[in-house]
Amino acid sequence: MVNVDGVYIEGAAIELSWADSRRNLMELIYDTVSKAVDDAGQGYDGIDSVVLAAQDLVDGRSLSSMVTAPAAGAYLRDEVRYSDDGAGAFAAAVARIEAGESERTIVAAWGRASEHDVEELSRSLFDRIFMAPLGLEELHVSALNAQRWRIDGGDDGAAAAAQARRGAAARANPRALHAGGRRSTPAYPLRDEHLPLWADAVAAVVISGKPSGVKLRGMGLSSEPYWLGDRGLAQAPALRRAAERALAEAKLDVGDIDLFEIDGMTLYDEAIALEAIGLAPKGQGMRALAENPRCNPSGGSAAGYGVPAMGLARIVEATLQLQGRAGTIQQGKPRTALASGLSVTAAQTHTVIILEAA
Amino acid sequence: MDLVTIEGKWAFNYTYFAGESASRFFHELRENQRIMGTRCTKCKRLLVPARAYCDTCMAPTDEWKEVGPEGTLETFTIITTAFPGLPAPPIVMAYVTLDGADTALINLVHGLDLSDIEAAAQKLNTLPRVRVKFVDEPKGRITDFSFELI
Repeated sequence: MVNVDGVYIEGAAIELSWADSRRNLMELIYDTVSKAVDDAGQGYDGIDSVVLAAQDLVDGRSLSSMVTAPAAGAYLRDEVRYSDDGAGAFAAAVARIEAGESERTIVAAWGRASEHDVEELSRSLFDRIFMAPLGLEELHVSALNAQRWRIDGGDDGAAAAAQARRGAAARANPRALHAGGRRSTPAYPLRDEHLPLWADAVAAVVISGKPSGVKLRGMGLSSEPYWLGDRGLAQAPALRRAAERALAEAKLDVGDIDLFEIDGMTLYDEAIALEAIGLAPKGQGMRALAENPRCNPSGGSAAGYGVPAMGLARIVEATLQLQGRAGTIQQGKPRTALASGLSVTAAQTHTVIILEAA
Repeated sequence: MDLVTIEGKWAFNYTYFAGESASRFFHELRENQRIMGTRCTKCKRLLVPARAYCDTCMAPTDEWKEVGPEGTLETFTIITTAFPGLPAPPIVMAYVTLDGADTALINLVHGLDLSDIEAAAQKLNTLPRVRVKFVDEPKGRITDFSFELI
């Protein structure tokens, strides 16, 4: 287990937009990374590396980091690209600092949904031999999980209240996408309002080993089996394991955490995740989402969703809450926060990050 | 000033090697109309579809064994968008654990009246028993079969 004591988030930024034709992808990245560096307040002095979460298929550019990494500050710096979720890239960057490979690092993640056909891209992610011929999409897997959760006795009666609360949170979130975006066609039992609002998302943080605004307390990563039929449907065991590891490292109980920013593509994914991390009993995740304002005060996937940036987006939102800078969605004075991220291929990998106000 | 957009499309060709295990699985579909699993040498679960190794145990599989043709529905979704090669929507996609298997297999469910989606969903909510139904001319692909309610 990596000892993550002593890694801090110096600066953070996020932008959710939609089809802004005034800026190309690199300019979107440049803008948000610049804001994160400005937020850290020390310019580029001492930044020796960048860790990026980006995917060629999402970017529509092969070896896309050749094009995009310089926009994230990679020139004459060590660059690592993590072809998975942004929270995983954050964990990789932390590990590099802990290992002494880097002192001050930019972590950036992005996905521009307005530039591609989200459903077509989703179908391309699945195994070509057994699953692709069936036309499977990410959203279908979320629907299968949601239905299993309902079959297992999940408190679906709270879904309307949960959706109302997260919709209100997204509308109040000054960083949410408030114009544009698009939604996919829902698959039963999902409805329009349960779906993510596809967006152009860029998130970035600057981290280092020097004491600063927010301290990392723990992190955990875990993976599901590749085969969807082998997994514990609606149970997210890998997220459960990742949360257990992160909490153990932080020497905290889930009850000690003041605020949660959980990554899930749909309302049901968020509810299932709250159960997996231990905040809600089995079947009560939707109720927690409906009644607990400390769960996804950002509005979650309703605020705008662009893979693979969402795990890092959750970390940025948690950071702003811990610093009292979340604006209209600020939840008092939280001292601790848990953020999670998941991979785009049917939530196969999970990362849990625990942060503390320094 | 007009802001420029550039159209783009990737259209690369690939030939994916299914490998021995998947090839034998597909061969069994085409030639014998049966669904096969392989047993993990460590956890002893019968994994379906058949595969060369168990990625939970990181151990090879050995024994080949037929499963089904009946099984139990585990969960489902009803999809209302069209996909090339599949029937016109709405379609039911479900995970089914076939008798004898330790893992679930995904495929379409046919033979259900989908004129009333909620009514169909209520029926599927009972986790009914299903049976594998093969197409008339199997081609050795995952689309050679689907499930139907018993």
